[in-house]
Amino acid sequence: MQLAAGVDVGSTQTKAVILAGDGEPRILARALVDTGAYVPRAAELAFHAACREAGLDPREIGMIVGTGYGRYRIAFGHAQVTEISCHARGAHFVFPETRTVIDIGGQDAKVIRVGSEGEVRDFVMNDKCAAGTGRFLANAAEVLGLDLEEIGPLSLRATDPVKLTTVCTVFVESDILSYLAQGRRPEDILRGVHLAIARRTVSLARRIPIEPAITFTGGVARNIGMVRALEEVLGLPIQVSPDSHFMGALGAALFALERLERYETSS
Amino acid sequence: MPCVVGIDVGTGFTKAVLVDVRKEHPEGEIGRAEPPVLGRGIVKTGAYLEEAAERALDLALREAGRDRRDIVYIATTGFGRYAVSFRDLQITEITSGARGARWFFPEATAVLDIGNQSTRAIRLDAQGKVSAFKMNEKCAAGSGSFLMRAAKYLQIEVEELGELSLRATRPQPISSVCAVLAETEIINHVSAGAAIEDIVRGIHNSLADRAALLLRRVGIGSDGTPQLVFIGGVARQRGMIAALEERLGMRVRVPPQCEFTCAVGAALLGLHRWRKLRSEEGVQRN
Repeated sequence: MQLAAGVDVGSTQTKAVILAGDGEPRILARALVDTGAYVPRAAELAFHAACREAGLDPREIGMIVGTGYGRYRIAFGHAQVTEISCHARGAHFVFPETRTVIDIGGQDAKVIRVGSEGEVRDFVMNDKCAAGTGRFLANAAEVLGLDLEEIGPLSLRATDPVKLTTVCTVFVESDILSYLAQGRRPEDILRGVHLAIARRTVSLARRIPIEPAITFTGGVARNIGMVRALEEVLGLPIQVSPDSHFMGALGAALFALERLERYETSS
Repeated sequence: MPCVVGIDVGTGFTKAVLVDVRKEHPEGEIGRAEPPVLGRGIVKTGAYLEEAAERALDLALREAGRDRRDIVYIATTGFGRYAVSFRDLQITEITSGARGARWFFPEATAVLDIGNQSTRAIRLDAQGKVSAFKMNEKCAAGSGSFLMRAAKYLQIEVEELGELSLRATRPQPISSVCAVLAETEIINHVSAGAAIEDIVRGIHNSLADRAALLLRRVGIGSDGTPQLVFIGGVARQRGMIAALEERLGMRVRVPPQCEFTCAVGAALLGLHRWRKLRSEEGVQRN
């Protein structure tokens, strides 16, 4: 059996996926760790955790591909592929009809146009400003004294969303505090926060043609409030896989498997 | 003893000053060391703007040994100027900053004001009138709140930043244009073993770069040698002044108690208005 792994070293979290080849690739294990300050260690921890989960010895994995901003700092990887290609590939694997990928991670946001084979046709990206990234949501949650997991579902209970005056992650803190002081409900504030990020993401996306089907990947895709806000602003349905967070790692593992197959046929 | 009040309700801090109405307060008169101020008060603004204005005013009255009955006129400025219901007059922070800067430095032709949430570049004509200004209030990079956050990441007090930065020998580059994303960069510098003073100077350099861009948009830095006055709380940091002087290639002047400059400007403009009103009343009475 061919075994391959993908390790996605993100700015905030590091993800690893192990795939079994032979026919349709199957996900054997997933693992997630905080990236922290020491990137090589995070990659190792995630990879070993995934191996343990799969009941495999790390030496049994034939090919490891790294992706994400820290991909060149993975000591044990065989190759590196950009996270743009990996998200496109992963999204295409899960939803073959995907033509647009919206990937919102901890510190950046990307919109990728995908071809029918899962190849990248175009992309736009914001990695200059925390507005429109997971960091913005994490900050908003912190100001409200809530867990990151709570804010999405809570935002769906809004009846009268606030209008934020700023999208700067720093300044929005005082915006939120003054809405609280005015007696506005946390759910209405949160809905305003989600809509503000959705508008920013969609204006980014409009720089390349948005073609359905749209797949939402990255850690922020687990936030149901964000999914609904994006759908509202786009006026289109969005598909989200339970593995959305692992999409980059999955794409990397698919590339690894492909290389492994190529390698084995040539030798 | 009657006095006029200037209150600057900023996003981070609220500042109040009292000036004596019997003094003439010509520009530059009291020298650059001693503002025309009887008392000062500064408090964190928080969410309740009017209450912050009250608290800052009470502190200023206490320092001056006056009480509310001595107040004849109140001028407000800053983002929360309309929230103060007991005001007589409100003035934009552009006008009050220009007036305050010019009082300390009568030859000033340019003002840079870096506050907690916004940065302003103001150009003055020879008479001290505002001829152009640009403002950044959309993004925290380049504002004082960036420094507050940076101090937090570095686990040092904001007050320490200015002196630390002066001791830098190898300033570290901060390439990020976002105050939040710069956190990762700062942490990377720390974990790579960079000296704190070199990181702090890098942060000041990045702020100075953004200030220089804003100044250039009102034509400062590209022509002649304007007399630039740097006001607002960030001007307290000597490392920031050094970074600015290096970037702009010109001398930068900073008034004493620089965070009160807009409040002083508001008080002086308020005083002017109060005198005018009184002389009109006098004319009517005669």
